[in-house]
Amino acid sequence: MNTDLVIGMAGSGGDGIVSAGESLLTAAALVGYHGVLTKSFGPQIRGGESSFRLRLCTEKVLSPGGSLDIAVALNWEDFLKFGAELPVGGRTTVVYDSNTNVAPDRIPLVGVVPAEVIPVPVEQMARETGGSDRAKNTVVLGLMSGWMGIGRAEVIAGIRKRLSKKGAEIVERAEKAFQAGLEYAEQHPLKTDRRMVASAAPTAKFVVDGNDLCAAAAIVAGCEFFGGYPITPSSEIMHFLGREIWKYGGTMLQAEDEIAGVGAVVGASFAGKKAMTATSGPGMSLKTEMLGLASIAELPLVCVNVQRGGPSTGIPTKGEQSDLLQAAFSAHGDVIRPVLAPVSAEDMFPITIEAFNLAEYYQTPVIILSDQEVGQRKETAEPIDASTVRILERRTPTEKELDHYTRFRFTETGISPISHPGMKGGNYLASGIEHNEQGAPTANGEMHSRMNDKRLKKFDPLKQRRDLFIVEGHADAPLGLISWGSTAGVAIEAFHLALKQGVRVKLLVPRLLYPVSEQVYQEFFASISRGLVVEQNHQSQLYRLLRMFVDVPRGVEQLAKSGSNPITPDEVADRLRQISFALQRDKHQEPSEA
Amino acid sequence: MSTLTAKPIEDYTAKDYKSDLKPIWCPGCGDFGVVQAIYRALANIGRAPHEIAFISGIGCSSRIPGYTTAYGFNTVHGRSLPIAQGIKLANPDLLVLCAGGDGDGFSIGGGHVAHAIRRNIDITYIVMDNQIYGLTKGQLSPTSRRGLSTASSALGSMESPVNPLLYVLGYGAEFVAQGTPADMNGLARMIEEGIRYPGFAFINVQSPCVTYGQEDQMLKAQKATMQSLESLGHDPADRLAAMDLAQAYGEKLYTGVFFKHPEPGPTFERLARERQDAQRASVKSRADVLNVFRLKTL
Repeated sequence: MNTDLVIGMAGSGGDGIVSAGESLLTAAALVGYHGVLTKSFGPQIRGGESSFRLRLCTEKVLSPGGSLDIAVALNWEDFLKFGAELPVGGRTTVVYDSNTNVAPDRIPLVGVVPAEVIPVPVEQMARETGGSDRAKNTVVLGLMSGWMGIGRAEVIAGIRKRLSKKGAEIVERAEKAFQAGLEYAEQHPLKTDRRMVASAAPTAKFVVDGNDLCAAAAIVAGCEFFGGYPITPSSEIMHFLGREIWKYGGTMLQAEDEIAGVGAVVGASFAGKKAMTATSGPGMSLKTEMLGLASIAELPLVCVNVQRGGPSTGIPTKGEQSDLLQAAFSAHGDVIRPVLAPVSAEDMFPITIEAFNLAEYYQTPVIILSDQEVGQRKETAEPIDASTVRILERRTPTEKELDHYTRFRFTETGISPISHPGMKGGNYLASGIEHNEQGAPTANGEMHSRMNDKRLKKFDPLKQRRDLFIVEGHADAPLGLISWGSTAGVAIEAFHLALKQGVRVKLLVPRLLYPVSEQVYQEFFASISRGLVVEQNHQSQLYRLLRMFVDVPRGVEQLAKSGSNPITPDEVADRLRQISFALQRDKHQEPSEA
Repeated sequence: MSTLTAKPIEDYTAKDYKSDLKPIWCPGCGDFGVVQAIYRALANIGRAPHEIAFISGIGCSSRIPGYTTAYGFNTVHGRSLPIAQGIKLANPDLLVLCAGGDGDGFSIGGGHVAHAIRRNIDITYIVMDNQIYGLTKGQLSPTSRRGLSTASSALGSMESPVNPLLYVLGYGAEFVAQGTPADMNGLARMIEEGIRYPGFAFINVQSPCVTYGQEDQMLKAQKATMQSLESLGHDPADRLAAMDLAQAYGEKLYTGVFFKHPEPGPTFERLARERQDAQRASVKSRADVLNVFRLKTL
């Protein structure tokens, strides 16, 4: 019996692969399993290869896991295109459609001997029951349901939910196809037991993805304006708000380009409203100037970057974490703007709320670094109680302050009350040009220094926000593990694995990436002599960023991979063990006191 | 819902809209006339300065919001229109003005003009067209005539100029006018008419640059050559006739209203408001947005 299973399936675009994965996730969630569902596609807009990997677990999981326990290939050509995303190993049960006419001992997986290889007449069963090969995915659902012991009723409920809009006949045919798969599984039990342990009593769960949850969180935070432009993999945020924001008195604008999108957001903020934009790497490059304008005009806004492979057009459909340096530094002039990164789809909710709070409080653009993994994968999540959420508003001037109002008045915190059009007495000139306290343009050096002080030092308290870090493990551990964003989910799992293996390691996951919280890092580094920074980009961007601001101990190494090269918990745990051995060896070789 | 209040209309004079900031413009700059015309138009309309948002880009003419008492926003080059639209959509009760030069509007900003027109958001866009880049000291502009020698076209411009009037008429703008400080009454009147027009209004102003402009562009020369569209018997409800006359841009200076749609179309902000009103009742609080993530149990 299993508590944690990873299923991967691939086929061609029209096979309904993704739909099958979503049905399985829904069914599993209904009976109380935790799940992470990742979809992956070929580069074609339509008709290319598609796949999913679904991890089901009796406990909360933050990563898609490692090798597949069950691999399903509807055809080999498409399956192989996914390479390391659907890793088959010695413990995998491989199921494939027998219509591929490949013998079980001749499957095209080089250098791999799976635990079990089973050809199944999937297409045949689909045609016999559904009348067409479009029911292949439903047959597979039946197989999975039978072999994994996930309740039939729940999977059927999932199918019904997905197909309800297509009519009763389609639903009936689908149920027949499902039955066929189920019976086949019951008549052909697997050598390796793949049944899941029954989950605890089913609790009402949410099923979320990072993009939709970000948009929903924006609404909960009080966002009343979204301006944006379509770009993979962030468009869903705009789509969601385009459906929902009106109900809450807001407006969504698909602008003519990325610059206009964020421009309208800057305008809406100037007019007193909470506003957000969303994009990916190329759009961030275009938005650079507008974000700088918001910084010098001290206007709140939230800018979501759902990162993808870069540079330039890069790999639009795969995640990467290579925009960190851009998020921190891509503004001409001396600028600080907060950068936050969620560690999972579920984490998008608190991170987005926090982003709005920071934006409004500090009167600044705030960048959220999500990525394709977090943005588009589906996860089970605990239901969110919006009534417990703390929302901050921008500091507006009092009646007294509106009498001789000075927009950019120097204050102790660096934050000056902000008015907006419509507020009597609050009239001021906002501008991108350097200005004095009244907002009048200036080229004076001393005023420029003081304004830079105001705009930069106002963020000092943010560096003390320890609540924006996940810190675990013994404070004295000599080995430190650091990661961020979706990769942190992998690192957290590796951390627990390593602990079980006796490695003395501690964990630090920043959810605030910039400004760099020097003190928090110094404290973490105080006891370590070795470390590992794990991230999904080529240059080790977080590692480089830390070295700019913090004394990073010499023994801190990097595990950095370009996007589309999955990092697994096992791989990270292995590396931690290696470093741990090296640590012990060094200690052993230390000259004894003579 | 508007909580804005204003002094009664008859109480506002041009002085109420003039700020204390001293313009950086050269003596004799056409923009002095433009800002005066704006003060007069606003005084006639009678909205309180705090209910007005005045947005500009970058350039000499873009300094104009700071010389008024309205909420001003001097933004970045070529991007005033998207920002102004965001302001109007966030608070449709505001009176929104947008201004800039011919480079700001038709070079770097050219891509945004069409979409401001498409959305028909109620903004009045005043372009001070002097066929040169003044602030950066005399480069070629998109409306400079072919062959013109400037700082960046020392050996003569090799391009045809943009025709801003045809540009906006072609994109379907519902209110298009051209004026000049050489006729202050006319200019103030058409700015007022543009502000009153319930939709996107475009006013091109031949506002000469005394430092880098050509002799035949100066106000004295304009006074001698300008012709009012009214005197030509032009019907502003006729878009094709307007486009025909607009073709003479660069050769003839026609002033007045080229086009004013007799049946103003819907504005984006009105449609947005209608949609918000229609959708509002379907939810009780912001927390309801989370319902989309709930799984229905069996």
